[in-house]
Amino acid sequence: MLLQQLINGLTLGGVYAIIAIGYTMVYGILELINFAHGEIYMLGAYLAIIFLGLFTAMGLTATSLPLALILTAILTIIFCSAYGFTMEKVAYKPLRNAPRLSPLISAIGVSIFLQNYVMLTQGATDKVFPQRFGEAGFQFMNVNVTYLQAMIILVSGLLMFFLHLFIHKTRMGKAMRATAQDKTMAALVGINVDSIISVTFIIGAGLAAVAGIMVASYYGLVNYFIGYIAGIKAFTAAVLGGIGNIPGAMLGGIILGLVESTGAAYISSEYKDAYAFIILIVILLIKPSGILGKTTEEKV
Amino acid sequence: MLKLTSVHTSYDHIKALKGIDIEVDKGEIACLIGSNGAGKTTTLLTISGILKPDSGEITFEGEPLKNISPHNIVNKGICQVPEGRRVFPRLTVLENIEMGAFGAKGKNFHRNLEKIFLLFPILKERKNQMGGTLSGGEQQMLAIGRALMANPKLLLLDEPSLGLAPIMVSKIFKTIKEINEEGVTILLVEQNAKAALRLSHCGYVLENGTIKLHGSGEELLHNEDVKKAYLGE
Ligand SMILES: Nc1ncnc2c1ncn2[C@@H]1O[C@H](COP(=O)(O)OP(=O)(O)OP(=O)(O)O)[C@@H](O)[C@H]1O
Ligand SMILES: [Mg+2]
Repeated sequence: MLLQQLINGLTLGGVYAIIAIGYTMVYGILELINFAHGEIYMLGAYLAIIFLGLFTAMGLTATSLPLALILTAILTIIFCSAYGFTMEKVAYKPLRNAPRLSPLISAIGVSIFLQNYVMLTQGATDKVFPQRFGEAGFQFMNVNVTYLQAMIILVSGLLMFFLHLFIHKTRMGKAMRATAQDKTMAALVGINVDSIISVTFIIGAGLAAVAGIMVASYYGLVNYFIGYIAGIKAFTAAVLGGIGNIPGAMLGGIILGLVESTGAAYISSEYKDAYAFIILIVILLIKPSGILGKTTEEKV
Repeated sequence: MLKLTSVHTSYDHIKALKGIDIEVDKGEIACLIGSNGAGKTTTLLTISGILKPDSGEITFEGEPLKNISPHNIVNKGICQVPEGRRVFPRLTVLENIEMGAFGAKGKNFHRNLEKIFLLFPILKERKNQMGGTLSGGEQQMLAIGRALMANPKLLLLDEPSLGLAPIMVSKIFKTIKEINEEGVTILLVEQNAKAALRLSHCGYVLENGTIKLHGSGEELLHNEDVKKAYLGE
């Protein structure tokens, strides 16, 4: 029973973690809570449904399901990254030197705009993911793990692993960390800060897209509102781990997923969505800098 | 090589530079001295493109730097060791040095790295330590080393001796001289006016955002006003 909940929690937690990374990366560089980030995840879920629907209509799903899924994922990631890139250029870049409240309001505006845009173009009712994966799976230490769950855990784990490598081992990744620590100095060593910011939004949006695809296939249903609640949960995960801290976002996401699934099983599933808020309140009261965050970060 | 003509720079409503003219020739060490708040840091940040001048012109090797973004100014060969060192605190010493080479895209990387480790052996010992955990003097060495990684033609140094022990101060000045002898032109901002003027081919005295005096290092060292105001004689 507990182990079953751990598997469920890990599935959920992996998704929260990869959305939370997008919040935390943007915050790390711009000190902006990108409230529209959850909408990118929502767009990812819709785009996955649209593209997979297209491939089903073309007959590709019937002939080769893996190919159809991979193409769907690639297209969805590309589109979401383009949304993330454009969002930054249109809504945040012009406000780079404005008071801190302005980009925050702009973020809320983008969020409302994207929700309504999807509602108008896709309708206000739930959309169904064209492919059902069902309960097929395997036994692992007496626990049922569906293939889809295993896939979600594996994909989010791999994405986090490669992101970690990227941030720590590549020239671009190191430049991202340098920019997060001191933008002026980054410019003074020849780093193009604007392109680092763009790359940050592109990576964050790409990860959110993957989360959207996975959730759409896991639950089978999406609506234009899912970005809001997922956004708040991922934001909670980011704060829990320490906003601005990438390993923190990963840890926060996993913890939140585990709390939700065990809480739903042992306390009440009615309050499933409330656990995130309880955690958020508690962490803000006890340790606002989060588990891995530094207390009162020095910012030059 | 570098020429500032009637440069004005302001912060919101504070006019920090009120039309300054500075000329630095290739291969020389020029220094900029002046009291606190005179506008020295503002001058260097304006040259690097971090601050945009309200008016006036800055040219480097004959080319105007107007509308060139800071990272491209670095690519043109102007590097700065800014006030307060600004070592990346949560990057290791080696990563800090690598970031210095960001614009240079790996050109001469290993040769420069060896040169820097030879110049500052302590950096080699500490290469896997976080930048923020170095002592002040070590951070200064790292900041200078980092700037040298970019193969600069012109190096801007903002108070490199600030807060250092006397023995480190003379080491830093010696290093500046060595760097210059290897062909790097230097614009040095210093509170330590005597040592700076001794080292420099020419000097500028900045007061309240305007250039009050300029001349060769030797001339300024013997100027009565400079002696009184900056050399404490
Ligand atoms: N970010 C800022 N906002 C507003 N005013 C500023 C800012 N930075 C500097 N100033 C003002 O501009 C003037 C010049 O400052 P600057 O830092 O260039 O002086 P400085 O000559 O480098 O002094 P110091 O020797 O103390 O470093 C000062 O009056 C200072 O108060
Ligand atoms: Mg200064």
